[in-house]
Amino acid sequence: MASASGEQTSAEYIQHHLTNLVCGKTPDGWTCDHYAVDQMGFWAFHVDSLGWSIFLGLVFVGLFRLGIPKLSTEAPSGIQNFVEMCIEFVNENVQSIFTSAKNKLIGPMALTVLVWVFLMNLMDLVPVDYLPTLAGKVAEATGMVENSKDAYFKVVPTTDPNITLGMALAVFVLIIFYSIKIKGLKGFLAELTLHPFGKWMMPVNLVLEGVNLIAKPISLGLRLFGNLYAGEMIFILIALMLTFSSISIGLLGVGLHLIWALFHILILALQAFIFMVLTIVYLAMAHETEDH
Amino acid sequence: MNINATLLGQTLAFVIFVAICWKYVWPPIIAIMEEREKRIADGLEAAKKADDSLEEAQLAFDQEMNKAKAEAAEILEKANSRASQIVNDATEKAEVEAEKILSSASKTIENDVNKAKEELRQKMSELIIDTSEKILGDEISPEKHQELLKKAASEL
Repeated sequence: MASASGEQTSAEYIQHHLTNLVCGKTPDGWTCDHYAVDQMGFWAFHVDSLGWSIFLGLVFVGLFRLGIPKLSTEAPSGIQNFVEMCIEFVNENVQSIFTSAKNKLIGPMALTVLVWVFLMNLMDLVPVDYLPTLAGKVAEATGMVENSKDAYFKVVPTTDPNITLGMALAVFVLIIFYSIKIKGLKGFLAELTLHPFGKWMMPVNLVLEGVNLIAKPISLGLRLFGNLYAGEMIFILIALMLTFSSISIGLLGVGLHLIWALFHILILALQAFIFMVLTIVYLAMAHETEDH
Repeated sequence: MNINATLLGQTLAFVIFVAICWKYVWPPIIAIMEEREKRIADGLEAAKKADDSLEEAQLAFDQEMNKAKAEAAEILEKANSRASQIVNDATEKAEVEAEKILSSASKTIENDVNKAKEELRQKMSELIIDTSEKILGDEISPEKHQELLKKAASEL
């Protein structure tokens, strides 16, 4: 693995792993040149994160829809068994949280969140150098860059805050949409301004409840990002141990990598689950009509 | 770590994938699972019903069986009593008949004996008279000594 990074320093190696492949709008037009990133404004895309995210979304849809050639009411087998297990698990969670209100969208959304986020997290288990090195070789071979060192490729989408906050934003929009739909605009505004101190303290209430509301998507997105980013960082640091010439440190690195990967399997699933449960809980709260 | 349009791209992708899942992935599988659930519930109910009807049938069978047994016992008892009555009747009849036969037979025997005795007497007296005639000659004639003959016959 170390050979691919050539004469990079440790800092450069880490920096390389944490930098996205960006395509964006510069004053001179659209470009994917890494050295033009500074000139890009808001209109730039992390092609790697977004590409993997969409690819894994398609894997999810393909597995759950096209993976089952023929749905059977008999005892399910193979992929159908797995798919039904996932759906039952999600459905149970949704029904235990959504006790009074009913919403047909929540189940499918929770399933999408669970499986998609899990698949994105799962990319963390691919050894950190494999895909970036491959991408670098491909870029060099096709002449997109002169040196494979200039090809940046960050694989795990959920280590990109744009991805996690992007999903949190969609959830946030749904929270507001359902709050207004269920309680009416008046009810929603009343919830924001009349608690917890009554109507004479409206500005204070608005600040408190506003923070409460904004904190939901921010914490939802940053929790997932933080966990995965930290996990990825540790993988990179362990991989860095293998670049040293000492065999003992290399062996230690292999052992640590194994241990961290095993432990990380738990974190990946857990974070996907937490993201799903919080999505359901926030939307269930948006459906609650009674006063607190 | 910079926030850029990737965020909006991911939001869009999220909306699209949720919509696909909502429209095409979730409903068919949920429908299949609900259908299977219903079939299993129906099957269980049918099994319970069959169990109940089996129990009912067993009960009815037991009742019929007991009834039939009681009837059979009754019939047997009747037949037994009838048979013993027939035997009694036959015995009685036979006894009466036997007595009748016996009495008529003894009467006949008595008659025959009396008849034989009478005849014997007759023959005896005639024999005596004949013998006496031969001994005494003509002195004794049956016509003349009718009285005497009668007396001798009665003394024999």
